[in-house]
Amino acid sequence: MTGYVQHRAMARPHPWRGLLWLSARETLRVLKLWTQTTLAPVVSSALFILVFGLSLASRISQVEGFPYRQFIVPGLIAMAMAQAAYSNNSSSIFQARSDRYIHDVLSAPIRPWQMNLGLTVGGVFRALLIGVGLLAVAAPLTGVPVQHPLALILAVLLMVALFGALGVIVGIYAETFDHHTFVNNIVILPLTFLGGVFYSVSILPSPWREVTHANPLFYIVNAVRYGFLGSSDVSAALAFAITAAITGALVGWAQYLFTTGHKLKP
Amino acid sequence: MADRPAGPGPPALSIRALTKRYDDGTLALDEVDLEVPAGEFFGLLGPNGAGKTTLIGAVTNLVRITSGEVRIFGHPAESLEARRMVGVAEQEPNLDRFLTVREALLYHGGYFGLTRAEAERRAEDMIDVFDLRAKADVRAPRLSGGMRRRLLLARALLHEPRLVILDEPTAGVDVELRHELWRYIRRLHSEGTTILLTTHYMEEAEALCEDIALIGRGRIVARDSATGLKERFGGETLEEVYLRSVATSLEREEAAL
Repeated sequence: MTGYVQHRAMARPHPWRGLLWLSARETLRVLKLWTQTTLAPVVSSALFILVFGLSLASRISQVEGFPYRQFIVPGLIAMAMAQAAYSNNSSSIFQARSDRYIHDVLSAPIRPWQMNLGLTVGGVFRALLIGVGLLAVAAPLTGVPVQHPLALILAVLLMVALFGALGVIVGIYAETFDHHTFVNNIVILPLTFLGGVFYSVSILPSPWREVTHANPLFYIVNAVRYGFLGSSDVSAALAFAITAAITGALVGWAQYLFTTGHKLKP
Repeated sequence: MADRPAGPGPPALSIRALTKRYDDGTLALDEVDLEVPAGEFFGLLGPNGAGKTTLIGAVTNLVRITSGEVRIFGHPAESLEARRMVGVAEQEPNLDRFLTVREALLYHGGYFGLTRAEAERRAEDMIDVFDLRAKADVRAPRLSGGMRRRLLLARALLHEPRLVILDEPTAGVDVELRHELWRYIRRLHSEGTTILLTTHYMEEAEALCEDIALIGRGRIVARDSATGLKERFGGETLEEVYLRSVATSLEREEAAL
């Protein structure tokens, strides 16, 4: 070890810088693992669009007035983005807890809400990358329109915030990596499929139609579909209101965990 | 017993009636009072499970305390001001698996409020100080145990903390690196940094610490200089003092039951 002079710094804390660096760290993780975090989901979802959209389009003419290949695009993009936002944040936080390098963040002069936001950014960033990538593939292949751009932006932001917060919560509660994958495979994926990604709820017989209305993912898929197609199975206002309410509840839950340290600190 | 006369300015660390009971009912800290004056080289010794790491966690915002008060240079331990002034190298390496050595230092600086230019300058300084240059672009999981220990110390010091907490910094390192770290920690202290050191190596505590507290079953059982402790407990070495003081403490507890 060579010479070193310890400066007697009396610097004030700058928690905003901490937030920016934490956000940068989470996006850096996404970029370092880009084949796993971005390329793979874009390829698999693009295959869904090709296989289901283009092959079945010859047998299913129209759904709710739209060609089938266009009808499924919003739901498939929403599904890929939701899974990315969730799995990114849950795995990132679980690893940080498991290896205990989250201590470097918890001991830093960063406010709890800034920790929550900074650790959510990675999933949001990853989901947006995937969403843009899929749209770039799907638009020329299917000709899917964007009828209400502002509504689409709002729906996407609410959705990625919702699933990003869910990922944060599961990442904090998970005791093993299986817990993180369990929520994805047993909860999110089935509910998304049953939320009207591949079909319109109007074609379902009772009681499945009513059951579908109890699925929160149904409203999220329809909020995104409204932004793309200008049409949804329920009123756009209801779809947005329920999506916003769930987002608020999950963000609040995540914030509670950071504010109290529950499950983050013994 | 646990307090020393206060010098000018607030003490580096002031703990009052600190209690920590874990969710499973384990009482890790029991009404601990402790004051460490600014600029002191302070040792905290105790057996495994005595409460050393819990106490450090309470100081560094990593443990939810049950009751009591912790202040760092007069600021509540949970405040941003206090956190800015503390650097901790934990017992077990806890390095970000996705970051290289250089990135780990850079991002730590950012978390602690440094600008990019400051963080880059300090990261390069620390890389040189701790001889990490050859591994600067290597991720933490690929580092040897000794290099991880160096990186932990470099990270703890990067934001120029006034209070440095070293939780068994030389555990598992070879003799050469241990003495190298001693020299460095001594120099840091000579420049005015307050050091709180926990260690299982009695000779390390005796060689480095001006003041030593012995902790057992969540309580401070004795506090003095190494010489003072030896006189008080009639031991020739700090190890004897340690064994006698902990044994005496346990006997008192059993007698009280």
